[in-house]
Amino acid sequence: MISLNAEEKSYRILFWGRIFIGLVFAYSGFTKLLEPVENFQGGMAAYEIIPYVLIPFLARVIPWIEFIFGAFLITGYLPRLSALVLAGLSWSFVLLILATRLVTGVLPANCGCFGEGSLIHLKPMQVLVMDIINTVVGLRLALLKVHPFGLSALLKQKS
Amino acid sequence: MKIDVNVRAVLVGIFFITVLVGSVFFAKSKRPAFVPPVQSVAGGGASRGALKVRGPVNAPVKIVEYSDFQCPSCRAAQSDLEALFKNYPGKIQLTFKHFPLKSHQWSIYAHQAAECMNHQGKFWLYQDTLYAKQQDWSPSKVAPVEILGRYAQELGAEMKQFGACMADVAVARDIFLEKEEGNKRQVNATPTFFVGEERFVGPREMQERGENAIRKALGLPPKTPAEKKPEPIAPAPLKGAAQ
Repeated sequence: MISLNAEEKSYRILFWGRIFIGLVFAYSGFTKLLEPVENFQGGMAAYEIIPYVLIPFLARVIPWIEFIFGAFLITGYLPRLSALVLAGLSWSFVLLILATRLVTGVLPANCGCFGEGSLIHLKPMQVLVMDIINTVVGLRLALLKVHPFGLSALLKQKS
Repeated sequence: MKIDVNVRAVLVGIFFITVLVGSVFFAKSKRPAFVPPVQSVAGGGASRGALKVRGPVNAPVKIVEYSDFQCPSCRAAQSDLEALFKNYPGKIQLTFKHFPLKSHQWSIYAHQAAECMNHQGKFWLYQDTLYAKQQDWSPSKVAPVEILGRYAQELGAEMKQFGACMADVAVARDIFLEKEEGNKRQVNATPTFFVGEERFVGPREMQERGENAIRKALGLPPKTPAEKKPEPIAPAPLKGAAQ
């Protein structure tokens, strides 16, 4: 039985945050990867401020980042880096939603985060709240030096 | 043999990424391929289940549009479609497919009304009205059945038949069958256009790339950005509409 110090004990709360962020991003990335890339391109184009020339590239790269780092965060492999990347993504979505609302005065009906066929349907304002929480929790996880429940910790123990 | 922790971590990482990438490609390969349903194009569109087709049957370019009447982007795309018919006369055939989104609460009523007008051979007139007056009926606090009926009346619909059709569950089923067909083609946003088998999602994509796909099919050189018209105007906010 591994004995936990004070920092590790408080980590139990953050652990569920880690699992939540990981699941959200892994699911979001996976559903997008299973669908034609044009669907996500269309979802991005609905936020009218993204330069059109970047959309095909971003639509191909973002789902892989979400899926891989989401899975990493769930299992605790490279947890600090994964949390930092996903916090960065969450923050960029926050900025995107706010900037779109400010510049165009209107938000797309669907956030475009998950497919129409997925189990989750969120409006941009709901995603905004979730992304702010994800950013804060993600940054807190990235700043933590110890991540006891995870693959990285297991690999260190076995050495 | 003792492996250094970093090497082991890297090896685990490589294995992990391989499994993740493999799982995506495996899941993708297991998805059934879409086979278009065999359906006849009824003349005049005056019968149940008739396809909503515009343009000559022998047109070299066939476009299929999956659209939602309550969606602002679908409304914005209509002027681009009109421009295509104007710029390439006789070369384009457009088929409309119902795709009412869950996030639009009055959408299914509008689609049912449009399908009922299709039974009376007035689908295209009615869809133009629905888009043109989207900002009138979409923000309604209650189901806009009365407004939809009024639009039908203004277009000279036979109202007894229209009323019976609006209450017909079989019509709703037909609409959802079309949506299900869209789901099988992995449509998840509106408007989605298929030019042949090529997919274009949203009015911007259709304008930026779709027209060039049409030109390619017609053996014409692609349009340069300078030739293209400015980007579509952002859809106006729908007060009270589902966001």
